[in-house]
Amino acid sequence: MQYDANIPIWLQVMTMLQTDIATGQRPPGEKLPSGRDLALSCSINPNTAARVYQELEKTGLCVTRRGLGTFVTEDTARIARLREELARQAVAQFVKTVKELGISPQEALRMVTEEENE
Amino acid sequence: MSMLESKEITKVFGAKTAVDHVTLQLDAGHVYAMLGPNGSGKTTWMKMAAGLCKPTGGEIRFQGEPVSIESRKHVAYMSTEPYFYSWMTVRDVGVYYSDFFQDYSAERYRQLLQRMELTEDLKTRALSSGMMAKLKIAVTLARDAQVYMLDEPFNGIDLLARDEIRACILEAASEDKLMLLSSHLVEEMEAIADCAVFIREGKLIECVDLDTMRTEMGVSMTDRYRQIYGHAGEVQA
Amino acid sequence: MNKLLKYEIRKTRSAKLILLGITAVVELAFLAGLYLVKSDDNSLLIVSCLLLFMLAMLGVSVIGLLSVLILHHDMNTKESYMLFMTPNSAYRILGAKVLENGLSILLIGAFYFGLGFLDVTLLFAREDSLQQLWEMFDQILQTISHEIQINPAGIACFFLWFLTGWIATITTAFLADIVSTALLKGKRFNGVVTFILFIALQSLLNRLLPLFSRYSAMNQRFLIESGINLLFSGLTYVGAAEIMRRKLSV
Repeated sequence: MQYDANIPIWLQVMTMLQTDIATGQRPPGEKLPSGRDLALSCSINPNTAARVYQELEKTGLCVTRRGLGTFVTEDTARIARLREELARQAVAQFVKTVKELGISPQEALRMVTEEENE
Repeated sequence: MSMLESKEITKVFGAKTAVDHVTLQLDAGHVYAMLGPNGSGKTTWMKMAAGLCKPTGGEIRFQGEPVSIESRKHVAYMSTEPYFYSWMTVRDVGVYYSDFFQDYSAERYRQLLQRMELTEDLKTRALSSGMMAKLKIAVTLARDAQVYMLDEPFNGIDLLARDEIRACILEAASEDKLMLLSSHLVEEMEAIADCAVFIREGKLIECVDLDTMRTEMGVSMTDRYRQIYGHAGEVQA
Repeated sequence: MNKLLKYEIRKTRSAKLILLGITAVVELAFLAGLYLVKSDDNSLLIVSCLLLFMLAMLGVSVIGLLSVLILHHDMNTKESYMLFMTPNSAYRILGAKVLENGLSILLIGAFYFGLGFLDVTLLFAREDSLQQLWEMFDQILQTISHEIQINPAGIACFFLWFLTGWIATITTAFLADIVSTALLKGKRFNGVVTFILFIALQSLLNRLLPLFSRYSAMNQRFLIESGINLLFSGLTYVGAAEIMRRKLSV
């Protein structure tokens, strides 16, 4: 896996997991790989992997049950909120790019509808 | 107490000071990338920590005790250059380690050889540089040591095999172990290291937590490497 | 220690095999000269006899020289890591080398002694004319043996004396080489200094020996000198190991 070396690696791996959770690829209540396995499968430092889970837990997206492992939260409302957060981030990025190109939000919206209908 | 700690360690070879009053604390549970151009003192520091090289001044402590015969039982050092006896086969190398290191596992060695695509009947003398590099890693990581010091583990290893090496290194790393890697191939270590030790001309420049550096300074380890060793050669804040 | 010894033995294996190989060839030539050459031309026999004698001398010297060369190699090449990264003290590392050398010299000595004895027996058995010579030689031995006491005890004393003297030479050479590598590396004249140190220590030992043993009878003299040899070996061994432990960087 390639990482952007300028951005903290835990952040990049966390984003990847968040996407998996938001898209349902990792459904609510699913057991996540152990920190060690995450480190190995993503080829990252074990401390980085531990940090990923710490951060995910802090935001309530996963829960660690002592002796059992880490699981995706079963709080579907929280996941719905995550989906919206990610969507907003994507939109913000989109708007920023479009603005830089000098295209008005209305025009951009028309282009989105066109793209959608094709 | 740090796992490995050097206090004002200095090594002078004739007119050249290879390591110049380096004070450094390395803790278990981290993978350190030791960085610096050729001849900056990385190898000499590691060799002193392995007890192979005697310091001119200062000392290195392993778990609070000066490096000694005892510490060699728990420190696995891998040098850049091949060092096996020329008459040895890959199997003989394993037997040698099992003869001298109690933490060595023949089973683990067998697994690692398989992953490195090496067979036991190969003669070390006939190995290509890439195969030799893999053999050194396999036999070193077959030890269940507390400290691993790998000097240039990616040297001579092609792109595809590097992924395998990285995986093996990460598998060996754990909370109670210390992993110290040196490499010219800085990018190879961005994701697997969590701390970096920058050394220039025998002096310690800094020892940093990489994610903190990425967050606070917005630079990667590679960027920082360029800043420190780049064109002017002056350290930039 | 057994493990270290195992690898020290392995390191001298090829050299010993070569020595044995050459000896086997010359021995075959000797046997051919003895049994196959029908003419009166004894040149093959004489040459092979001489060669065997030289090989025995050479063999013993080679074993000594080889052990110093191996120590030098073990401290000055990357292969040094093999020894010095293992949790073995300098005393053990050096001890294994001294032990290996002592065992080698015993074995090689016994081998050439046995071979020489066998060949001489064969020679005398074949040549009747030599038989008389042998008897005469035996007679002489009988006469002088009263004085130099050729008996099992005497031979044992002699071998002990030879072996301890040998070990003292080896440990002195080890000390000189370790001083050169650990203390004088990169300095000018380090080879010369090493050589002078070796010669000086050896002549010191040679001057020391008669001081204690001058007035003793033969066997006693061997025993006293063996004791001094051992003491000297011990001191040089400890000195060499201490320098190795404190100062050697590989």
